[in-house]
Amino acid sequence: MSEAPMLEVQDLVIRYRGRGLFAARPKPAVNGASFRLAKGETLGIVGESGSGKTSLLRAILRLLPVESGSVQLDGQDWLTLKRDALRRARQKLGVVSQNPFLSLSPRLTIAEILAEPLLAQGQRSGPDMQKKIAGLLSDCGLPADFLQRRARELSGGQAQRVAIARALALEPGLMIFDEPTSALDVSVQAQILNLLADLKESRGLSMLFVTHNLKVVAHISDSLLVMRRGDVIEYGRTEEIVRAPAQEYTRELLSFGRGTEHPVIHKTALPT
Amino acid sequence: MPLLNIRNLSVAIPTPDGDVHAVRSVSLEIERGEIHGVIGESGCGKTMTGMAALGLVPKGARIAADRFHFDGEDLRENAARLRGRRIGMISQDPAAALNPVLSIARQMDDVLRAHRDMPRQARHSEAVELLAATGLPDPERVLKSYAHQLSGGMQQRVVIAQALATGADFLIADEPTTALDVSVGAQVLALLRKLVAERGLTVLMITHDMDVIAEACDRATVLYAGLSVETGPVHDVLQRPGHPYARALLAALPDAAPHGAKLEAIEGSIPPPRSQIDGCAFAPRCPQAMPVCALQAPPERTLAAHRWLCHLPEGSA
Repeated sequence: MSEAPMLEVQDLVIRYRGRGLFAARPKPAVNGASFRLAKGETLGIVGESGSGKTSLLRAILRLLPVESGSVQLDGQDWLTLKRDALRRARQKLGVVSQNPFLSLSPRLTIAEILAEPLLAQGQRSGPDMQKKIAGLLSDCGLPADFLQRRARELSGGQAQRVAIARALALEPGLMIFDEPTSALDVSVQAQILNLLADLKESRGLSMLFVTHNLKVVAHISDSLLVMRRGDVIEYGRTEEIVRAPAQEYTRELLSFGRGTEHPVIHKTALPT
Repeated sequence: MPLLNIRNLSVAIPTPDGDVHAVRSVSLEIERGEIHGVIGESGCGKTMTGMAALGLVPKGARIAADRFHFDGEDLRENAARLRGRRIGMISQDPAAALNPVLSIARQMDDVLRAHRDMPRQARHSEAVELLAATGLPDPERVLKSYAHQLSGGMQQRVVIAQALATGADFLIADEPTTALDVSVGAQVLALLRKLVAERGLTVLMITHDMDVIAEACDRATVLYAGLSVETGPVHDVLQRPGHPYARALLAALPDAAPHGAKLEAIEGSIPPPRSQIDGCAFAPRCPQAMPVCALQAPPERTLAAHRWLCHLPEGSA
């Protein structure tokens, strides 16, 4: 791989402060995570509550200080950037969170929501911007008449499409998804996952996809990182991990419910 | 005779803009000692069906049914009396179901005092026994705790213990594992199966998650737009779904397609809850719809214990 990776994380340690002056140092929330994400690829990060996946994500967004380790974003030393340089570099990141109704303002129209990042970046409003906004919306599979609506008039899937369109507004190289389909119904989840696959293809996006649902992330990611209690317990190509998980924990997550070999598994025998 | 026997249940909620048909026609037969899954997406009426059985529909809602019986008693008249005596409830969010300012001991004791005629000491040992039955280690310590000191899985076990404390033999579990991590959710489902086997409980499991159905249930009923469209043994419903909606739902799951391939999303959306449905409710989104589907309500197709509503003849999938 001659090209610089989109994201390279090495020996990242994140530790929250203990309570009180003399409290013992708590165990790190992320205990030495290392991985790389090539351009145009998707990395799935899987873990349960307390696994450290959210801390890892926040550190990558520079919302949380790091104890040690390094993060390279598109060849730049991401953790040492300051003020204006940091602000400019942040445009390389797009973020979509779990609940679109919390992340979209209820007061603004969809057009205003999509204009916000462009205005913040200093672009002028006008016909060009309107055209760009309409393009973003249609790329995300919504018709133009949605521009004058407000978030509360949308279904969960439609609102999540708007959140994705907004994250794409500044043409980021790396999109970060934090449980983007967990609040959605199965049929809508499939639509959103298909949309992400299309966007990855058409825009050459790199993606970080964080979820507790291993089956969802295994479907769309090229490589997988499984976290548990702050440790990276498994990291590799998705096909390999799904075929032969090295950890019992990963196997457990994969076998929950409708397994591939035994479509219907019961923990205990059926009553007769 | 089924323990819960529902035939053509409907729940209509009047609003200024017209009636909301939360449940249009749901039929359910739940036998003693089974875990029966009710599966469907948002707005399909699964929660309202459970609420109707608990007698907890919104004020002014109109319930109609050809049959709405629990153990031979009509739920339209007796739901409030059966609730908390025979019928218990486990909700999605255990943290919201527990009182944050009362100890678990106090909350367990409140339930036992209200439902069982026992002296104080006996209530305490009963509480310990029930918490132990839900697999909680060190029940004495749990009793001294407050809800926020317990993990989500432990909280849900306490809620299950409370439901058992009422003496209920039928539990309505509404998305009991959705707020929990997958591995903790699997443990809670295993616990429910153990309680069904050991205590002869019957469970109505409301969920949107096919994996929960596969993991825990004996039979399942699929709801769409307030209608029960398919019912049968879990193996049949998940392996040989008869209704095109059930098939589409399974095909939309991320592990149904090869790695990285496009998923089969269901186009369109559910019919508006205030609308009148002629013909098959799924027809506008159905890839196999025929002219008749929009005009006439679909007939029931039967394959042994597996039943579904569809105009397509059996085996045409």
